[in-house]
Amino acid sequence: MNGVNKALPGPRLEALRAEVRAASWFAALGEPLTEGDRSDAVAYIAALGFDSPEIGVARDWPDAERLLKAPDWAPAWWDLEEALRRRLLTEAETLYPERALWSSLTDLTTETGDLVHGKAATAAARMGRAAAASIHVAAGAASQAVYQLAVARLAGQSASPFESKFHLYAAGRWPLGILGSRLVLF
Amino acid sequence: MTDIVVKTVEELKDAPEEYREAVSKLVISHAINELYGAQVFDEPAIAYAPTPYAKWLTCRVAMEEYGHHVRFKQLGVQMGIPEERMVPSTGKKPLSIFEFPLKTWEEFVAIKLLADLAEILQVEDLLHCTFHPLRNLARATMPEERFHAQFGEDFSAELVKTSDGKARLQAAVNEYYPYLPSFFGGSKSRNNEIFRKWKIKQRTNDDMRQDYVKRATEVAAKYGLTLPEIRQAA
Repeated sequence: MNGVNKALPGPRLEALRAEVRAASWFAALGEPLTEGDRSDAVAYIAALGFDSPEIGVARDWPDAERLLKAPDWAPAWWDLEEALRRRLLTEAETLYPERALWSSLTDLTTETGDLVHGKAATAAARMGRAAAASIHVAAGAASQAVYQLAVARLAGQSASPFESKFHLYAAGRWPLGILGSRLVLF
Repeated sequence: MTDIVVKTVEELKDAPEEYREAVSKLVISHAINELYGAQVFDEPAIAYAPTPYAKWLTCRVAMEEYGHHVRFKQLGVQMGIPEERMVPSTGKKPLSIFEFPLKTWEEFVAIKLLADLAEILQVEDLLHCTFHPLRNLARATMPEERFHAQFGEDFSAELVKTSDGKARLQAAVNEYYPYLPSFFGGSKSRNNEIFRKWKIKQRTNDDMRQDYVKRATEVAAKYGLTLPEIRQAA
């Protein structure tokens, strides 16, 4: 329990907030993949321990919705992320006071949620044909990515899969996950 | 005497003590219940959601519920309420529904369908509150509460497409609904009398409960569901 009374690292959280504000949330949905997108996607999935799967692309919002609702998604991908998040959160709880840690993560996620919801709504309006609930889904996914990254960094992990996952969002992509045998990016 | 309008937190300092206490009770109650709801139902439901689409939608709902807690807590802090009074375990006793941990996706859908409708009625009653910071907060919260109830309707519509899904949803409704009418408080609540005296709230607990039962019955019927007998209010 060494360091449990250590104050939360304000500058580290502020740096993350700045990254969140500067990210190009949902700006590249439906665009052709770049080498940078591919590189981040491969790094993300390799860091989770998966063999490099084929990388697929969702063309538009209805395509993304169909893929996200399909029954052949890979629960192992979600479960691996969740197990990692829980482990990192436990590590962070040994470093910082529980109430302060919980409050800072809640505040960050709330701020992020409002920001990315607006960005997702803008992208949906620009591209058209998105179900209203899908804007909430996109905002939920993006907020979760920021929460995961914050937990990892507060636990002192600067090379977690959540770094490359966030890079994809920051580049305007939405990683939809491992669906079928492919990692699908929107 | 009771025709008072408080437009800012600053002005609240000059309001009668009974008014200030009543407003504080409401803010504390909302801050705690929003947090309980997020912790006991919304966050655990992410694991039960059947697809990535449903999981991330549930993530968003959970974050919005946590966000409601944050907003009510921020208002409470501005009003001078200590933070520890606005979080569970150190604050007031939770509502009975929060004592039953979530076990299935169908239970979560039933809670969104029916418990969030109860929450909508509570927030509706604050839309004309004489304490304007609380009124404004209620107005900001309302679209998100409506979305959460719509979430319950949308996934209810999915579940009732199969007889097995409908049976599981009906079982969840049977389990949780009996606890919900008591969400509106006792028939002879002194607190409610004070809230109405100062026009902080508009309706009696019984009036709201009656309205809730009517609306819950209607929304359940839309999906071919029935509501079980309810317990007497506390």
